[in-house]
Amino acid sequence: MTSSALNKKFDRIKAQEEAGLLSSKRGSRALRKLLNNRLALFGIVVFSIILLASIFAPWITQYDPGRIDLRSRLLEPSWDHFFGTDSLGRDVFSRVVFGGQVSILVGLGSALLSAVIGVLSGCYAGYKGGWIDVIALRISELFMAFPQIILVLLLVSIVGQSLLNLIIIFVISGWGGMFRLARARMLSLREEEYVQALRSFGISTAAICYKHILPNALGPVVVNVTLTTAMFILAEAGLSFLGLGVPLNIPTWGNILNAAQDLRVLQSYWWLWLPVGGTISLFVLSVNFIGDGLRDATDPSQQG
Amino acid sequence: MLTYIIRRLLILIPMLIGISFLVYLGLELTPGDAVSHLIPPELASQISPEKLDEIRASLGLDKSFLHRYFNWFWNMIQGNFGYSLSGGVAIHEIVLDRLPATLELSAAALLISTFFGCLLGTYSALKRGSLTDSSLSVAGMLGVSIPEFFFGLVAILIFSLHLGWFPVGGRLMPGFDSWFDHLPNIVLPSLVLSMMMTAGVMRYSRSSMLDVMNKEFMRTARSKGLPEWRVNLIHGFRVALTPVIVLIGFRLPTLIGGSVIIEEVFQWPGIGAEFIEAVRGQNYPLVMMIALLSVFAMLIASLIIDVLTAIVDPRVRIGEK
Repeated sequence: MTSSALNKKFDRIKAQEEAGLLSSKRGSRALRKLLNNRLALFGIVVFSIILLASIFAPWITQYDPGRIDLRSRLLEPSWDHFFGTDSLGRDVFSRVVFGGQVSILVGLGSALLSAVIGVLSGCYAGYKGGWIDVIALRISELFMAFPQIILVLLLVSIVGQSLLNLIIIFVISGWGGMFRLARARMLSLREEEYVQALRSFGISTAAICYKHILPNALGPVVVNVTLTTAMFILAEAGLSFLGLGVPLNIPTWGNILNAAQDLRVLQSYWWLWLPVGGTISLFVLSVNFIGDGLRDATDPSQQG
Repeated sequence: MLTYIIRRLLILIPMLIGISFLVYLGLELTPGDAVSHLIPPELASQISPEKLDEIRASLGLDKSFLHRYFNWFWNMIQGNFGYSLSGGVAIHEIVLDRLPATLELSAAALLISTFFGCLLGTYSALKRGSLTDSSLSVAGMLGVSIPEFFFGLVAILIFSLHLGWFPVGGRLMPGFDSWFDHLPNIVLPSLVLSMMMTAGVMRYSRSSMLDVMNKEFMRTARSKGLPEWRVNLIHGFRVALTPVIVLIGFRLPTLIGGSVIIEEVFQWPGIGAEFIEAVRGQNYPLVMMIALLSVFAMLIASLIIDVLTAIVDPRVRIGEK
């Protein structure tokens, strides 16, 4: 770039600044970066559409997901039934949107719950150190030594199948990662000068830990919550597909896919499993895009 | 080096005791008596209750929980894993019977994903910012977002049911037992199983390669007048590979976890399918033992990875001291 072109560019920036155009961008820097990322934006849009469709399920479909209508069995997709009907005459579209309620609840709920438990314990253990830290670390290591799905299936076989049990099982299998993340952040943050200053003022451990340090450690936690949500939604789908997740009478994305275990359904009645599989994939994809975008927006080491 | 390996081995022992204790606690919480776990059911039905009590006493089952736990642990170390509740087959026989199929599938998936992951990741890094690079990134994201079993179902629909290229499932056709005979059977499950891992390896080797490409020694190599491919492959790729090896080790749980569902989808007669069958049939001793063995396999794998990195990268060894 020649120097005159460079000067012109500076002049333009200066003019914009004087006109107040540059400072008018409100909102946090991280949020702006997130919205500028096209894939993350795509993720937010798709995520919102599927989430809203699930929340407002009773308003966007006139069919009850559980109503059996034997006169209209295995109908192909049409304007009456967007995704057709299943072997009991239930409307598949209505089952997908209502199933979204449960699947998203399980995925997001378990991820948030694991984050709360993992972060609260991780921050405390990391800040306090000593024997509490050692014991908590060893316990988390025990749980993390299992491949996740093996641990989940093992717990399912011990406590039995139900919606609440599944969420508890997911939290048991997922808190360890959050614990280690929060603890690692804490170990580096607790030596900062502002923490020493707070300590010298005699502020209580809990207040320093949760009120003053925790907010500085939240960035990676939020990113991890999105990735864990994606993981749990995949896990729920897989377990319910095997018939070992949420009890079959509750519609969830995995339970709808369960029909595809039958080769006849797989070959001849594609609308029973293809649309719902696509919905799961799109939803998880959108969550992953959001998570990636958040990581890029909040983690300075990933810039460029 | 030897002290490093010994120290890592010593850490394994308390881990193993802790995990087996947790698992045994789980076994205690499930319905059913330990005697039924230790002797074949068809034998148990012929024995009178008094005799059963006698057996319990002789096995030490009337002792305290801790006592029983150590008994069980001792038996396990000696290779006596107990009996399956269905059919009364010894668990170690079931495991030995099913293990080759799982190892075969996992090894194939590991090879495929390592090869394609490194290849695509390195290519992506060399062409960074190009259309190929961004499409590969999106494809990688798709790879970790589509449920593996759903991908498997689509693959069965297209390649088995419509095109008829591969069998729908199973491992061996009756009458065929050489390794080449089940080559068509392994293609789909191993490709599907490797999908998620390929995506992970690709992302990781891309960023690792990008890291290396800015290093000084790359410029040195270029300034020596070496051809570009030689700089990238011999000097860059080799260095970028080290963290990728570590990642592949960390991905083993994904592989084990994925193989559980994929084996079920493709009717592959491995440990994973057996595990699901055991969970469905509430065959607790089998469930516990397979879970324990999978943990053991992971601990050993992570040990091997640690030792490998210590060999490749001397900084790890020194850092430990």
